[in-house]
Amino acid sequence: MRILIIEDESRIATRIERMAMLFFGNKLSAIHRCDALADGLLYLEHHQVDLLLLDLNLNGEDGFDVLENFVSRSFHTIIISAYTHLAIKAFEYGVLDFVPKPFDEQRINQAFLRMATVQNTATTAMSYLSVKKGGSMLLIDIKELCYVKGAGIYTELHLLNGKYELHDKSLEKLQQLLPISFQRIHKSYLVATPCIEKIMVNSGSKYTLLLKTGEVLPIGRSRYKELKSKLI
Amino acid sequence: MQKNMPTALQTFERHLSVSNSCYLYQMQRLILVFFLLILLQSCKNGVDFEETEPAFKTGDSLIWASKNYSSTHWRTERGNTKQAIFWIRFNPVIHKIENPKEHIGLGVYAFGAFEVYWDGVKIGANGQPGLTTKSEIPGTHNSIFLIPDSLSKPGKHVLALRATQQYKSDEQRAAGYKIDHYDQLLEMPLIMTSFMNLMAGAFLVVSLYYFFLFANSNRRDYTTLIFGVTCFLFFALLIAEYIKFYVAIPYTHFYLRLEIIGFLTILVSILVPLYFSIQFNFRKKLWLISGLVLVLAGIYIYNFRSYDLSAKLFSLSMWFAAVVVVVNAIVKKEKGSVLVFIGLLISMALNYFLVYDFGIFICFTIIVLCMLYLHAIKAKEIEKAHQSSMLLSSRLKLELLKKNIQPHFIKNTLTSLIDWVEESPKDGVVFIEALAAEFDVMNEIAEATLIPIAKEIELCKAHLAVMHFRKEVTYQWTEKNIDPLATIPPAIIHTLVENGITHSLALNDGSIGFILSFTHDQHFKTYTLLVNAKNRLKKQQAKQSTGFKYIIARLTESYGNNWDFESAAVPDGWCSIIKIKNE
Repeated sequence: MRILIIEDESRIATRIERMAMLFFGNKLSAIHRCDALADGLLYLEHHQVDLLLLDLNLNGEDGFDVLENFVSRSFHTIIISAYTHLAIKAFEYGVLDFVPKPFDEQRINQAFLRMATVQNTATTAMSYLSVKKGGSMLLIDIKELCYVKGAGIYTELHLLNGKYELHDKSLEKLQQLLPISFQRIHKSYLVATPCIEKIMVNSGSKYTLLLKTGEVLPIGRSRYKELKSKLI
Repeated sequence: MQKNMPTALQTFERHLSVSNSCYLYQMQRLILVFFLLILLQSCKNGVDFEETEPAFKTGDSLIWASKNYSSTHWRTERGNTKQAIFWIRFNPVIHKIENPKEHIGLGVYAFGAFEVYWDGVKIGANGQPGLTTKSEIPGTHNSIFLIPDSLSKPGKHVLALRATQQYKSDEQRAAGYKIDHYDQLLEMPLIMTSFMNLMAGAFLVVSLYYFFLFANSNRRDYTTLIFGVTCFLFFALLIAEYIKFYVAIPYTHFYLRLEIIGFLTILVSILVPLYFSIQFNFRKKLWLISGLVLVLAGIYIYNFRSYDLSAKLFSLSMWFAAVVVVVNAIVKKEKGSVLVFIGLLISMALNYFLVYDFGIFICFTIIVLCMLYLHAIKAKEIEKAHQSSMLLSSRLKLELLKKNIQPHFIKNTLTSLIDWVEESPKDGVVFIEALAAEFDVMNEIAEATLIPIAKEIELCKAHLAVMHFRKEVTYQWTEKNIDPLATIPPAIIHTLVENGITHSLALNDGSIGFILSFTHDQHFKTYTLLVNAKNRLKKQQAKQSTGFKYIIARLTESYGNNWDFESAAVPDGWCSIIKIKNE
């Protein structure tokens, strides 16, 4: 686990650092602190991280402006901020959690725990997927999304209009963020339930899924029962 | 005390505007009555008669009163009759009497003292003609007599006056007469006077109101005084004009009244353009008013004793001066200027169509109404400006209070505080005390618009103590040459300190220095705050201006435009300079 903390309040940064070290223990391989956005972005250019802990108001700068950039990346972002009114908006953009200040150990551990969950069960889930495209950011409405296909370290977002975009997050990380209506049907596929037309049984008890777009996706042998029970 | 002052003032201003509209309404009604009166006045005479020229003869004979005597060989001019008795004869012809059952009366306009003979019958006297030197009892300029019913039939008649004019005997005041229903002759002036006095009363009340307003106002607003004086003069003018109907003025003092009217007209003619030039911020007031005074003086001298003509010329000069100011105001797009211009045009139009006596009063009334209107909108503007300044003050108060409860400050402070309490409870307590100290000072200064610099420094130090616990940076505070009694708007240095903390990186020794110095020369009091640190590279310079806006608003609130504020990067860090002009 590699963590980056961007927080301009020295005492609070120390606190976060201490709690992260306590929670992750020896699973933690790197932890770094920056007290300005520019420093943080610079650090990310040269280092891989798994989790970003971000304060939204840094030295009078609005961290929200760069949030789109952060959430489009491969790592998860947890916001730790005084501006609780921004929580819903942050969730919509696809942060893993929003920890309001002041916070105690229990609350921050709860946020860390979400790193380990498979599926997002929270009521506020992301409604946009932020994608880097040609140097600028593209916001994709979750309603436009039909299914996600894992492709190595990144994923393909297949949209209802037949196009697809690439995302830096892994299929597992996206599943943690996407609403519960997204179903894992295969180790490489995550499908939006409203997009499903029907399950088809092929010879050799192979199961496939017909989508409303006409596409056919494979269903993992181990996931068939769960999927069937959920669809009925 | 300070807290209650604005409220009282506000109430007063509100009262002012309410009263203004009330007077305006009263005035409008008066104008209506005024026009009705003119209609009444322009009604046809009850008796249709032919006015004839007078004939004069010095000497004394009762035969000259007789209807059969012919005065065709008499003089057409009186000449200087000195102490002697002389006769004036007219040959009026009554064509038609509208209501033959009513008594017919005679109005005579002439100087001197005289007995009045109608068709040879003595019907009355005005004063008493003197038979010896200076023995006459002077009569009034206007007099009314009842003509016996038997002698008031349509046809030719003879009016003869047996007169002396021992005073001002060389004064050639034209003599004339008027025949009408007797009641009409008596009532008309009374009705007219009653309306005029009613109007005069309104102007008197308005003038008194504005005098009181001026006397009791903290702001010495001279337009209020000028307006009050103008209304009072106008009141005096109305009284002077119509006093002739109810005070018997001997012909010897006839011109005194006209002199007074002329004098009042001159004053009004100066004050009205002066008022407009002040209200409309006319640049060359002095030139305009001096020019006007010269013109008025010229008119007075050139047309000496031509009272009606000079009064007409006075008001014309006033009108032109006012038009110059108002047209200038229209060009400058001053509020209310167009309406005042229309008022001036209407007044000129009416003046053109009506006889002088009425014309000038209508003209003046409309102009005074324009002034009143202007005064009302100016009062409204002042009230608005006052309200917005009050609003700004309370907004700034709120902003000051918000500094310590806005989420960024309070939540970060509380988070750090929790951490201190959990990790090092003793330091946590010191932190809490520092926070309490900052709240205390903030609470103390929240209501004030100016606080002693010592208080401000206390606030800054308390803030730095709090921030030390949060940022774990050593903040060093240094003061140079501070005058502890000097005052400053609350939390402006505090705002600069906040900016310094936010936008600076600690020096290599882990410290940030704040150095506040004060200098005082003959022009300015200068506060300089140097933040001795490394400046952060900022992408969003604009964000800093939220704090600057507060500082600028506070400086404006307390010093108007008499201040200067600069803030810029220097080699040592960041330097802000606040200059306040000496009063």
